[in-house]
Amino acid sequence: MTVQTVPMLDETPVGDALLRRIERFYYREARLLDREAYADWLTLLDPGIRYWMPAMETRKRGDQRGPWTDGEMSYFDDDFAMLKVRVARYEQPSAWADNPATRHLHIVTNIEAIETGTPGLVRAFSCFENVRNRNEKDQDVIHGRREDLLKLDGDRITLAERRILIVQNILLSKNLNTFF
Amino acid sequence: MCDAKARPDMRPVYPKAGSYPDFADLVDDSRAQVDRRVFIDRAIYEAELRQIFGRAWLFLAHESQIPNPGDFVRTYMGEDDVIVVRQRNGRIGAYLNSCPHRGNRVCMVDSGKKARGFICNYHGWSFGIDGRLNGTDGKVYDKDPGFEKSAIGLTPVAQVASYKGLVFGTFDPEAPSLEDYFGPFTWYLDVMLDNDEGGTEFIGGCVKSTVECNWKFPAENFVGDILHAFWTHQSGAEAILGGAVDLGSRYDERAFQASVYGHGIETNLDKVGNTRTLGFPELNDYVLGRYEAVKARLGEVRARMVGAVSSCTVFPNFSFLPGQATFRVWHPKGPDRIDLYTWTLVNKNMPERIKELYRKGTMITFSPGGVFEMDDGENWEYCTKANQGWVTRHQKLHYGLGQDSAWSESDLPGHIHRGSLNDANQRQFYKRWAEFMRFDSWGDLQRAETAPPAKPLPQAAE
Ligand code: FES
Ligand SMILES: [Fe+2]
Repeated sequence: MTVQTVPMLDETPVGDALLRRIERFYYREARLLDREAYADWLTLLDPGIRYWMPAMETRKRGDQRGPWTDGEMSYFDDDFAMLKVRVARYEQPSAWADNPATRHLHIVTNIEAIETGTPGLVRAFSCFENVRNRNEKDQDVIHGRREDLLKLDGDRITLAERRILIVQNILLSKNLNTFF
Repeated sequence: MCDAKARPDMRPVYPKAGSYPDFADLVDDSRAQVDRRVFIDRAIYEAELRQIFGRAWLFLAHESQIPNPGDFVRTYMGEDDVIVVRQRNGRIGAYLNSCPHRGNRVCMVDSGKKARGFICNYHGWSFGIDGRLNGTDGKVYDKDPGFEKSAIGLTPVAQVASYKGLVFGTFDPEAPSLEDYFGPFTWYLDVMLDNDEGGTEFIGGCVKSTVECNWKFPAENFVGDILHAFWTHQSGAEAILGGAVDLGSRYDERAFQASVYGHGIETNLDKVGNTRTLGFPELNDYVLGRYEAVKARLGEVRARMVGAVSSCTVFPNFSFLPGQATFRVWHPKGPDRIDLYTWTLVNKNMPERIKELYRKGTMITFSPGGVFEMDDGENWEYCTKANQGWVTRHQKLHYGLGQDSAWSESDLPGHIHRGSLNDANQRQFYKRWAEFMRFDSWGDLQRAETAPPAKPLPQAAE
């Protein structure tokens, strides 16, 4: 599976009831991340997930490479096992960049969901504002867009693929001690 | 009032070094102390831009990033914005990214392919990839008798040279050759750059981030501070290896620090200690599987260094971790800020699958979201910020670990210290810093105390 560019014109939005469920899924995910409930967050992910946040390059409009390239340097390009490794670090009291705890806020907005043509698979778009504040006044704010593939299995929704596109060229913070 | 015949003199100006003995004295080698003001003081920082970043050979790019004529990347030398571009004759040139007309940047992007030139957005002056002024917008200048197009262009970086794929530049026309600047330190650089006949390349793209720290803290960290790994990186090691970073005595006999002209590497000879932290057993097998071939090429000592627990800084601000394949530059942005550029270096001949594991390994270990790097930036920021206090800044910092660890009988190149758990390379780094502050001539710089002790280079494959 690969997140692909969707033709803008013939998108079919999912029905309102499903959209509502997807919104709830995202809001709950944001709440889990705010609480650093990473073990619970992992249960929202499909074991075959690709969790990918490419580094953004500033390039001319005419440059055919676009602002990022699959297979090049990224902030994250994880499978499920790698995400579990990151979570394992957060669980250590010696994770110094998180002890004292970071105060997190994930705001999710602009949620849209469209049919993929494959039953049980929905493409979803959202935007986020991610605020992290720690110690006295260290604050990092990151804005971006997420392009997801969601798996529907009965009542259950899982995240099968996520592409995170931030608006920063040089990340204006020292680290990314969070998920998006 | 203006002489009609006077022409603006547009020849490049490369500021000369001076000397700052007072600043040099802030590094007290006999007491193994460094004055905290070198990490926060604006005047000292300005002196660094002149004495160090205005003279030293600085990392610009990997040749693999710009394979064809017109391919370019934009970077910095100190705070100077620079375009690095492959010329039609295959050589690499570098130019200040600033229009000689009113100073505007002529290149706004990070990189590009097969450019024919650069056009300034302000009044449309256009420059070739060789920096020469090709033309101006409109006919205004054609009719202006005072205008001398041939004498105007983007200021070239005074010298540009490559070492085994890595491109460096210096603003000092008098600087010694790149090889002389490295001296016998090339013997150690070859661990990464020459362990395979096909040479190296950067995996595409670059991760960039900002850290609110003085540029010397990460540079000294990579030049010799393996000591911090046990404490700082406990959580990351626990996550990937299921236990703390093993720096224990069982490796101490196999570990050493080497330094030449302030460039330094601290290393173990444990073969895959750092590669193991990438978390992919396939990579350990790969490195171990190449051991005999690398040994035949570089000899046993260096073959054992390829994936080992180790880190390196090329003076002043270019660092890498051999085992993790992460290469980075700490661009100074004032006394209390850097922009960090991170790449992954691999051998061209590696199977694609192995290259991919190194790429992913960089991300999960040493990039802003990496389980190790995450905790480094926090330390460097507070090392810098805490020194702002008026009383605090008058306290000296302690660089005294392992003052009796010199291993002068060693036949390895450079100043060698036994064991990697000591501050030897950091002392050499700051000694070199002080030499750059004190001396205005390269003759003095290259004969100073950090110069390599005279001994023959060990045979490649002993
Ligand atoms: S500033 Fe570049 S053309 Fe005027
Ligand atoms: Fe570190």
